[in-house]
Amino acid sequence: MQRTVSSLPIAPPVKVKLISSGFQYVADLCDLRPLQLSKEAGISQQEAVDVLQEVRGKRDQGVAPGGGLTALELFEKEQGLGSIVTFCSALDSVLGGGLPVGKTSEVCGAPGVGKTQLCIQLAVDVQIPLCFGGLGGHAVYIDTEGSFLVQRVVDMAEAAVKHCSLLAEDTEQREALKGFTLETILSNLFLFRCHDYVELLAEIYLLPDFLAQHPEVRLVVIDSIAFPFRHDFEDLSQRTRLLNGLAQQLIQMATQHNIAVVLTNQMTTKVGNGQSKLVPALGESWGHAATQRLILHWEGQQRLASLYKSPSHPEATVPYQITGEGFRDVITTDCLNVSADSSAIPSGNACKRLRLEGDNSHI
Amino acid sequence: MDIGHLELNPRIINAVKKANLRSARDILSLSDSDLQRLTHLSASNVRSVRSAVALACRSRSPAVTALQLYRGERPALEPGHKLTTGCPALDSLLRGGVSLTGITELAGESGAGKTQLGLQLCLTVQYPREYGGLSSGAVFICTEDSFPIKRLRQLITLQSRLKADCPEDQRRRIPFSDNIYVEHAADLGALQTCISQRVPILLSQGLVRLVVVDSVAALFRCEFRPEETVERARHLLAFASTLHRLSHSFCAPVLCINQVTDVVDPSGLAVSNMGLAETKVLPALGMAWANQVLVRLMLRRMEGHKSVDGWSGTPRKLEVLLAPHLPRTSCLCSIVEEGVRGSFTPGSTPLD
Repeated sequence: MQRTVSSLPIAPPVKVKLISSGFQYVADLCDLRPLQLSKEAGISQQEAVDVLQEVRGKRDQGVAPGGGLTALELFEKEQGLGSIVTFCSALDSVLGGGLPVGKTSEVCGAPGVGKTQLCIQLAVDVQIPLCFGGLGGHAVYIDTEGSFLVQRVVDMAEAAVKHCSLLAEDTEQREALKGFTLETILSNLFLFRCHDYVELLAEIYLLPDFLAQHPEVRLVVIDSIAFPFRHDFEDLSQRTRLLNGLAQQLIQMATQHNIAVVLTNQMTTKVGNGQSKLVPALGESWGHAATQRLILHWEGQQRLASLYKSPSHPEATVPYQITGEGFRDVITTDCLNVSADSSAIPSGNACKRLRLEGDNSHI
Repeated sequence: MDIGHLELNPRIINAVKKANLRSARDILSLSDSDLQRLTHLSASNVRSVRSAVALACRSRSPAVTALQLYRGERPALEPGHKLTTGCPALDSLLRGGVSLTGITELAGESGAGKTQLGLQLCLTVQYPREYGGLSSGAVFICTEDSFPIKRLRQLITLQSRLKADCPEDQRRRIPFSDNIYVEHAADLGALQTCISQRVPILLSQGLVRLVVVDSVAALFRCEFRPEETVERARHLLAFASTLHRLSHSFCAPVLCINQVTDVVDPSGLAVSNMGLAETKVLPALGMAWANQVLVRLMLRRMEGHKSVDGWSGTPRKLEVLLAPHLPRTSCLCSIVEEGVRGSFTPGSTPLD
């Protein structure tokens, strides 16, 4: 099919000059040299080089085998990428084995429901060695809210190391455990702090370079996307445009570098028809941004995770809990006492003693 | 950021300046083809402008690993240190004290003791680091009531009882009441000028390292009519983002005291009560505000309960409602002459 010059992503003034000097289709440009083009169209040599690079880049991509994959090849590729476990088996099975690598996922929820907890858990779990069924990858964490507290990462990392050391059976696993310690987990977690949306845009723009230097990265978390974009915006159409651009960049990053991208979003109250309900923030169009959307919410005292949007798995709602060790399954009624105990963060003896004595006094 | 200082060809810089693009915000918010149209530069030039601007923005916050934070190699990003409350039981509830970055909210009914805890932090912040303080002053912004100066005097004279771990001669050297700057803000405009102009000056001169707002709810609840919720949320977000930025750039804790609101709609309970099924009151100002706080604490009066540890007065319960690093626990406490004291002894039960 003939591609028109006007569809090329080049500067409008250059486009006008090209078209007015008779270049209608991309094929017309292919065989020209930069000098010829610059003379013929009356554009500078630099512009001519840019145009030709754009044209040839497109043509090469079209021919390259990477441009077209069969469904089978794509399926095999996706199978090979694996997924990141959440340590909550109910949620893992809803997501089909964990959070998919190579896709973008959005986690929405009211404050305090556990969005940050899930993100930190994923940043630890992505590092579980391959022989334990993990990915052995590194993680990038972009914190915009200031809610990333290293104290909490230490809790979860210690719990994950302990969990794996209990599972270790053969020598390979024992060997792998030596490289899976608190220190290595922390040193493979890269943190960026962004204080406003300009810094966030700059960081995302530069992230592909960082990922090229650190090919082990398998997870990028942005916690949260909503925080910087929900204030200082008078012009909401500009916000929508920036967010859409950001979403495009993230999807591209996820597929090119084979990473899982996790975004968190806040909830907002939507009033309509005389009643109010909670909906994810940032508006309707943002709902299309991520491939998967997971909503965390409360029901009474129970925390629930609902898969709200997914191209490959049915909608489902499962319970989960946040314990001292991190994001976990809800333990069923017969061992309720255990769950109550484990909900304390082991933060020194004072805190523990306080809770145990409290329990006794109640009995 | 000055465009002229970027490492770029002067020709490119001139083209950018001619196009009237002055800040990183302008450049990063435009798409590549928009930039090409405005500056009349080629695509590769535009890309180099964009990466130079992005690099200049980022130099303030380069990547760090969590290990560097853990070892305290980047104290500006995450201080390992916390601000003590002055009471070991309350500190252990909060895993060391009040977080230095981010907004800590303290909600409670009137008479629960919120202001007491605010005053107490204004004093503990003045202790040297080895005693859990930040060796700096505090700014106390009153929006509800006049500043309780009498109670402050009483607390100062009884400091030896509250912080017995600090030697007497050290304590004598701290001029407690000179280091507390009291601001009164009677309306939203005054509050906004206070936190955007006067407080940053105090913080940047190192005179204060703690901001207490008593209370956020008062002004936001009275200045807006019910139908102006969108406007209210916008102001609230702007206010919160100013505080957030101050806290992060000066590594200064911010304590916001909040009122509570009755839960009237039992059907709405399930979605927004944060899993607190049995509570009748929730912190005021709704979801817009809740999204902005890092730690949310609630102080309740426990009417009809026996006082603990031989303290007189009604016991109180301090609960952690949300925090990224704390479990949902609570601790019984009491307001005594020297301040708010928590209790390690029985009665401190988990929330559920």
